Amino acid sequence: MPPKHKNELYKESSRKKDVRTSNIEAAKAVADAVRTSLGPRGMDKMVAAANGEVIITNDGATILQKMTVTQPAAKMLVELSKSQDVVAGDGTTSVVVICGALLKKCQELLEKGVHPTIISDAFFKAANKACEILEGIAIPVNLEDREALLRAATTSLSSKVVSQYSSLLSPMAVDAVLKVMDPARPNLLDLRDIKVVSKVGGTIDDSEMVDGMVFDQKAAKSAGGPTRMEDAKVGLIQFQISPPKTDIENNVIVSDYNQMDRVYKEERNYILAVVKKIKASGCNVLLIQKSILRDAVTDLALHYLAKAKIMVVRDIERDEIELISKTLGCLPIAHVDNMKPEKLGSAALVEEVEVGKGRVVKITGIANKGRTATVLLRGSNKLVLEEADRSLHDALCVIRCLVNKRFLIAGGSSPEVQVSMQLGHWSKTLQGMESVCVRAFSEALEVVPYTLAENAGLNPINIVTELRRMHAAGEKYSGINVKKGTITNMLEENVVQPLLVTTSAITLATECVRMILKIDDIVPVR
Amino acid sequence: MASFVGAVAVADLVKSTLGPKGMDKILQSMSRGQEVTITNDGATILKSIYVDNPAAKVLVDISKVQDDEVGDGTTSVVVFAGELLREAELLVNQKVHPMTIIAGYRDACDCARGVLESGAFNNQSDVEAFRQDLLNIAKTTLSSKILTVDKEHFANLAVDAIMRLKGSGNLEAIHIIKKTGGTLHESFLDEGFILDKKIGVGQPKRIENARILVANTPMDTDKIKIYGARVRVDSMAKVAEIEAAEKDKMRAKVRSIIDHGINCFVNRQLIYNLPEEMFADAGVMAIEHADFDGIERLALVLGGEIVSTFDNPSEVKLGSCKLIEEIMIGEDRLIHFSGVALGEACTIVLRGASTHILDEAERSLHDALCVLKETVADARVVYGGGWPEIRMAKAVEELASRTPGKKALAMEAFARALRALPATICDNAGLDSAEIVANLKAAHGADSSSRMGVDVVRGEAGDMKELGIFESFRVRQQVLLSGTEASEIILRVDDLIKCAPRQRG
Repeated sequence: MPPKHKNELYKESSRKKDVRTSNIEAAKAVADAVRTSLGPRGMDKMVAAANGEVIITNDGATILQKMTVTQPAAKMLVELSKSQDVVAGDGTTSVVVICGALLKKCQELLEKGVHPTIISDAFFKAANKACEILEGIAIPVNLEDREALLRAATTSLSSKVVSQYSSLLSPMAVDAVLKVMDPARPNLLDLRDIKVVSKVGGTIDDSEMVDGMVFDQKAAKSAGGPTRMEDAKVGLIQFQISPPKTDIENNVIVSDYNQMDRVYKEERNYILAVVKKIKASGCNVLLIQKSILRDAVTDLALHYLAKAKIMVVRDIERDEIELISKTLGCLPIAHVDNMKPEKLGSAALVEEVEVGKGRVVKITGIANKGRTATVLLRGSNKLVLEEADRSLHDALCVIRCLVNKRFLIAGGSSPEVQVSMQLGHWSKTLQGMESVCVRAFSEALEVVPYTLAENAGLNPINIVTELRRMHAAGEKYSGINVKKGTITNMLEENVVQPLLVTTSAITLATECVRMILKIDDIVPVR
Repeated sequence: MASFVGAVAVADLVKSTLGPKGMDKILQSMSRGQEVTITNDGATILKSIYVDNPAAKVLVDISKVQDDEVGDGTTSVVVFAGELLREAELLVNQKVHPMTIIAGYRDACDCARGVLESGAFNNQSDVEAFRQDLLNIAKTTLSSKILTVDKEHFANLAVDAIMRLKGSGNLEAIHIIKKTGGTLHESFLDEGFILDKKIGVGQPKRIENARILVANTPMDTDKIKIYGARVRVDSMAKVAEIEAAEKDKMRAKVRSIIDHGINCFVNRQLIYNLPEEMFADAGVMAIEHADFDGIERLALVLGGEIVSTFDNPSEVKLGSCKLIEEIMIGEDRLIHFSGVALGEACTIVLRGASTHILDEAERSLHDALCVLKETVADARVVYGGGWPEIRMAKAVEELASRTPGKKALAMEAFARALRALPATICDNAGLDSAEIVANLKAAHGADSSSRMGVDVVRGEAGDMKELGIFESFRVRQQVLLSGTEASEIILRVDDLIKCAPRQRG
């Protein structure tokens, strides 16, 4: 027997209504702010921070993160985009846009007197159904199939500033991920194993993936130390080459001039002894960890190291230690007495190279290299470079999604239209309020093709109706070809994206909408 | 009568969160940071709001007590007390003396309690049925929270976790980790323990049959704790000597730790590079900077003790587990201890779209766990959905009809206040509360063993047993008793005297 919905009308008190409306309005305003950046022809935003810093980006998560939002519901949208970033890394704009569209539909439903919890439950069911539908049209992908991965990365990059370089960046992203992936345990993929070093100068064309490791730091050569070392033995040290310092406070009492001289001499001897020990281990390249307690390495020490023909890179952060030791196959050394040859990593060449205005240290030809990858990004200015970094991150995430969930779906808003259509059919089999809500949900999803067409300067109504027609005719891979301004089969155009991006966008957006719907009051607290 | 107004206002504030279709509140912090909490939990709302009215503070307090005692029903108790006061105000206006009202309320409460007890049933002897009861209770509790759509999933999670405890009721052994990303449905229960920390560089990432030393000791430097202690030397060489001595001391300490025959060392404080390297050389996994909570729980589940001196290896109780390995949740790496000594321990990993959702999910789950714990301790169960209230109201009214004097008025008021609870549930769901409550009343009047309660989903009176809406007896009893007591305290007040601030010396 179908459930009876007797007297189920929801009359809101004026205050509750105000709170809910203001929440929805605020959230919608946030969604509208990022709407125009969706899609390959989406526009970028210039974000001006209070401290005068300027960022130009197309990445929804970044825009929202920088926005100063105080309204609680609007904050939730910011969070939403952040969690999409965590889950899928891409689709951070879409998720917010979908959420905004859903909220708009909610408002209409609420005006009709539908109870918020009914909307909430129906949306949840619709979202689950949507995921099922998406899985139905997904195409399994094999990780061996490099072409497929490349296509997905290219699609993700196509909406970014750096889209014209996608032929360069997408292979980079694919190779980097495949390199750090452990075939035995693919679910342990950690993108932090991919180091991205950005250097201003040159163009993005000059970016490269380095087979080895790149340090942003310069080689210390104030004392004339070497800047190039073949057959390098690399030591990663965590101790300091500077005058001794005790944990307990100490005073060296000097009563006359002679003694002062002696103190100097002793200091020299002390450092010399350390350097000798390092030299004795066969190490000829030193990576020195930054120290906050005392000088990591003094000028005097640099001088001796230079004499001993040891190349020095200093200011290595402690968080980088793990990555470095993994890459170079060396172990960090925390005391000079532990300088042993077996703890060193070996590489064919370590050299300082000039990159644009700056210099970086490159380590190549590493013997038994770990599962890490390094990408050296170049760009004509800081803004482009930062955006390239973010875009590359998105592309990396896309590949990671594919590793986690090995399905691809067509891009160009075709999945949204397909889901919208099928949900529309499904809603006809439902009864009562639920049907109305699911119907609204399916209509809300059309915001994606609509926005995509709008941003591309096409006539959205023509495009969306045409899309609907094509999908109804069974062309389930038809999507908007933004470049040509027509509708084509997305698979033939090689526009594909990971399944995970779309499913998580829909489920996360729905979860967020449901949370906003359930709120009826804002209570100020201490 | 300012005290009535304040208390009723507080009750009205949380009223709309009651029941499966209750709404949430945003708590917006007025201090810096403007942090936002979204919650359905009465105790959390009341804990956070700024209350000036002393009577309102009493209500805030009972909700806190309810939270500590049984963990759930925090909204119900406040709403109930608020309704009692609302009724009392009417009586006072009719020139009934507060003491008479109190006497009436007391008698009514005793009577209601008796009815509640007689209506409760106990399935503890039958394991299957008991589990089913627990599941139903968890589902009822969760149905008013954010987890409602996944209540099946979470009810199972909560019941599994509680069953693992084997009646010990030690909620400490259930560790909840929140990680953004994914959906609520991806939350899972994990046997063993998960620590949100990293393993040191160059150390084994996977240990089988681990022997674990849990410690709280400085592994950076052993400083002398006397202020201003310093050494005076006259040459750099001596400074170097002292430094070497310090290092040696640390080495000795590390060695004595390793001498415990361990292969995993977990410290609450930082582990500096030097000891870290020594541990790596010895093939010991060293985990630094585990927070205090983590350490205590770890010591508990691993069956070890927290150590801070390492001179007597034989006397130290080491923790142990079958396997330690790194796992990946979302974008983070965590350390997973499986096959731990305390078989009861488990970790629930919550996933969700945002921190707000996760925080609320944690509160909801905590409520469910508390209620289940209470139920395991006291297995009596009653039906939910306003069933106990209607039943109690009926008994109280019967008592009132036999009672001479003004006290009877108070009892009738008590019965009305009881019925306000199911009425509120209906109102929140947008249902016609007067109609449904009247129907319920009629159903109970016709058949004293009726199982009818509010069926919010269908919007009518329904059989609670068939719908599987169960509640813990303890929770309901606590709501009844604390609600009555709180209203009594407020009723007794006839004046408010401002005290001089405490003298500061």
